[in-house]
Amino acid sequence: MNQIDGHFDEMTGLLYLEGQLDSAHAGIVSVHLGTCAACRELLRALETEAVWLREALTTDEESIPVRVLAPPERNAAHWGWMAAFGLLVGGAYTLWSGFVEPWYANLQQGGFTQGYLLTMLFFSSASWKGWDAMRSLMEFMAVATLGMVAIWLLRKQWQRFTAIAFVMGGLACGLAIPQPVAAADVEHGNPAYTLPAGQEVKTDLIVAADRTRIDGDVDGDLIVFSNSLTVNGHVKGDILVIGAEVRVNGPVDGNIRAFGQALSLESTVAKNVMAWTGASEFGANSSVGGTLTTFSGNTELDGKIAGDVLALVGDLTISGSLGHDVTIRGGRLSIGPHAEIVGQTKYRGDHQPEVSAGAQLGSPIQVTFEKRGPDYSRGSYYWHQILFWGAGFLLGLVIMFVAPGFFFDVSQACKRIGPAIGFGALFLFATPIAAIIVCFTIVGLSVGLPALALYAIAVYATKIFVGAWLGEKLLGASVGFGPAVGRLALGLAILRALRMLPYVGLLVGLLTVMMGLGAIVLSLHRRLTPTAAPAAA
Amino acid sequence: MDRQTTTGTMSDADLAQLLSQVRAGDTDAWGEMYRQFAPAIFRFCRRLLPAREDAEDATTEIFMKVRQKLGTYDSSRPFTAWLYKVASNHCWDTLRRRRIRQDLETGDVDTLPLEHPDPSQLERLQAEHSSKEVRSGLAQLPDRARTALVLRYYADMSYEEIADTLGVRRAFVGVLLLRARHQLRDALAPTAAAAGIQKASAGGGS
Repeated sequence: MNQIDGHFDEMTGLLYLEGQLDSAHAGIVSVHLGTCAACRELLRALETEAVWLREALTTDEESIPVRVLAPPERNAAHWGWMAAFGLLVGGAYTLWSGFVEPWYANLQQGGFTQGYLLTMLFFSSASWKGWDAMRSLMEFMAVATLGMVAIWLLRKQWQRFTAIAFVMGGLACGLAIPQPVAAADVEHGNPAYTLPAGQEVKTDLIVAADRTRIDGDVDGDLIVFSNSLTVNGHVKGDILVIGAEVRVNGPVDGNIRAFGQALSLESTVAKNVMAWTGASEFGANSSVGGTLTTFSGNTELDGKIAGDVLALVGDLTISGSLGHDVTIRGGRLSIGPHAEIVGQTKYRGDHQPEVSAGAQLGSPIQVTFEKRGPDYSRGSYYWHQILFWGAGFLLGLVIMFVAPGFFFDVSQACKRIGPAIGFGALFLFATPIAAIIVCFTIVGLSVGLPALALYAIAVYATKIFVGAWLGEKLLGASVGFGPAVGRLALGLAILRALRMLPYVGLLVGLLTVMMGLGAIVLSLHRRLTPTAAPAAA
Repeated sequence: MDRQTTTGTMSDADLAQLLSQVRAGDTDAWGEMYRQFAPAIFRFCRRLLPAREDAEDATTEIFMKVRQKLGTYDSSRPFTAWLYKVASNHCWDTLRRRRIRQDLETGDVDTLPLEHPDPSQLERLQAEHSSKEVRSGLAQLPDRARTALVLRYYADMSYEEIADTLGVRRAFVGVLLLRARHQLRDALAPTAAAAGIQKASAGGGS
């Protein structure tokens, strides 16, 4: 028991008041209190303070939330994940009935019998008759999605009608704002569009039609959404085309970027060509001033390419003249007798390249055969796994240091497995779709692209939070930085080991992403809801 | 204040019967028990956790735990004490997991001033601040200090129960409480904090 200048210290006074002193010490204090007015005064002040504290803590002006008034049911299905799964099922059905089935019908009508599923799905349907209606529906869905997200985030402020008015007003304004007038000539084919020879469009030309034919000249860029496009005229800007069949016979002063079923080039392109197509054919008269980047099933290069060639292809046949380096990753490479490659040729694939005797190569082809699937017999495979683990662990440590509260909130949210996976499944598929749709609607690229970037980061980070949760399951929830690091390391290692298993690894990866993404969503929701001081409402 | 008035107005006999019905799986009894105690537990959580929604979630989770653990409750002991123990463990668990550096909160008794506060300053502090302001000040305290005060002066827990919940020695609980009081005084009157702690000699001799 401490004494200062003959008085008891505050600690002793508190313990005496709260009955925490043993009888001997309490007796000494009682005797002292009988003779010391200052200590009596102190004890009275401490006692009053205790009463004051009790009153402050028990007095309450804050109402009990309705949610708390209703008793929770045993094993009650959480509305969140039920809604999420419901939306997911609804979304899948809508996707099937609204897109896939009509596309199949469209495909048969259009006579398409082959091609890559995704290419066909996304690009062949550009001329689908119901596309306009579907686009309107998608725009409406995008706005509705934004509205729902906003309402969800602000739902805790429902009492504040200004917040509702703000959200609704914002959406209404967004819908009411007229579409910006584009500095371009926009044409809708019915069903075909033709720019006659001798006619020149002085600005950019945007065309949406079943069949498009450009015999005249375009002074700016040519942007086309069409089942087929034939360009015989002169395009002084770039060509951006989404369509099943693309033929370019006229000169192009800019670049060509083609997404579709087939690309055929029989003219000069001053700059670069990028092709995401089922098949690409660069004829003997074709010439590309810049680089060629092709992601095509089959590519035939009979013309001239001045710059580098990067080809991720199924089959590549080279019969023309390539002025620089060539990098090929794909199935088969065939180099004809009249081919000329000035730079280095690198091939990575699973077939021996066929090189004709007459082909002129700047240097011997560097061939790397790659084995499909993981090669468990190679040490480098395991080294890469360790590197992947290390990268995840490092990012986890950064998040843990920079935002420890968020880190633990998200890993704790993983405990709610059902809601986490439900929301995760929804956001995993809905976010990129919504972001892409948003890119085309009122909000624009400034929202859509950052959303996609954040989405990618979040997807990568999911394993960190799920790993931390898994580690806690196994090691317990000891408090402190050291145990948290240990849990993260172990959890990530287990996840990495599971990912290495054939087939099961894919499922584990998918579940990890869904669960982690859902946990991030749940945690963000909690953090974005307004906070207030405890009981200080 | 005792826990009975905090948590409801049922007599001990009524409560015992209600609990036996709940244990027997009576859904209506469970609803009745929930309605009796949920508001107090919500307020308890509200004072410990940083956000209203946290308190809502915690209340729901605590009662789910109560339902699972009711079989382990010793009916010879007060139910409210057991209920608050479950609630405080849950809230403290939530708080400490959010604070990765919780272990940096040291329990150094030397940081306590061995001085008498000025009783008149204390009284002035109490008179000048409403309950709402006190709760706002409480929210600014470190988790452990706030929790100690709430467990003691809201849930009316004993020093043993507080020590058990916070994972500290029983002898340290008094230090925690006194330090928490000092921190609250500082939070409410930061400028007068220094003036509020005066030497005992200034208050008069024995």
